[in-house]
Amino acid sequence: MIQVTKRVEFCAAHRYANPRWSEEENRRVFGKCGNVHGHNYILEVTVEGEPSPDTGMVMDLKALKDLIIEAVVDRFDHKDLNQDVPYFKEKNPTPENLAVVIWELLEARLEGRQGHRLHRIRLHENGSFFVDYYGEHAGHAERI
Amino acid sequence: MPRESEPERSAGGVPVVEITRSYGFSAAHRLHNPRFSLADNARIYGRCNNPNGHGHTYRLEVTIRGPVSPETGWVEAGPALDAVVRTQVLRRFDRMTLDHLITPTDGPTSTSEVLVALLWRILDGALPAGRLCHLRLEETPNNFFDLDRDGADGLARPVFTTPADRGQKVGPA
Repeated sequence: MIQVTKRVEFCAAHRYANPRWSEEENRRVFGKCGNVHGHNYILEVTVEGEPSPDTGMVMDLKALKDLIIEAVVDRFDHKDLNQDVPYFKEKNPTPENLAVVIWELLEARLEGRQGHRLHRIRLHENGSFFVDYYGEHAGHAERI
Repeated sequence: MPRESEPERSAGGVPVVEITRSYGFSAAHRLHNPRFSLADNARIYGRCNNPNGHGHTYRLEVTIRGPVSPETGWVEAGPALDAVVRTQVLRRFDRMTLDHLITPTDGPTSTSEVLVALLWRILDGALPAGRLCHLRLEETPNNFFDLDRDGADGLARPVFTTPADRGQKVGPA
């Protein structure tokens, strides 16, 4: 198995807030991240599979890029994540939650394709912080 | 980190995410094993055995893994990571001579292999149980050293002590 990774960037604004908490509690936990601010996110999407005997490729990287742009970049780039992305009406737009929603968006589009599967979402929020998501859940886990 | 087994997935349950933050510290050291002869030390460690030592700007990537809190959207223990690394690692090692802080129980000399294992024991002991997932120690941009839980479990586990822990003065006399 070989892992191939496509890297893209998008820029978005967000703020952290838990609507179930008081203003004071939000300020205590989230501090300055409670103000609307933004990041230049770098997203690395890794797909795993065997290279095709015909093309020598695990997956056409142009097709992967087009998929990422349609499913992720067009949805998030130059947006306010809290206001413009319905998913974040319910959830805080942390890099953790972003990685999970990006996984779900891409996995649905990669499903059913032969010979490869989504392996990892790596999302860099800045030069010194990134999150990795492999599609795992704690509790009620079942192997599929 | 990539793992052999298939990740567990389900429609329900809390997502488990790994977060990585990177930190920097600057330290001096000299690779020298007192059980070797001077000639052997010079032969084995080469320029790293320079009697007056040398130094590096180390970069440390710390990865912790855990469920995403439904309340904050953060991996639990994530918000505490900076403080743990600052107090347990940066305060201890930044602007220090590593050879004063590494004892024979940690390893023969202050290689990055020995140092990353020592950093694992320090951080694994200071973070909530089982959260530490991976360490990458970059000695230079071209040399880096990775340790994960399987690797750390496979290492001998000496008792961690430094001169500071034993109440002795550390750093230059």
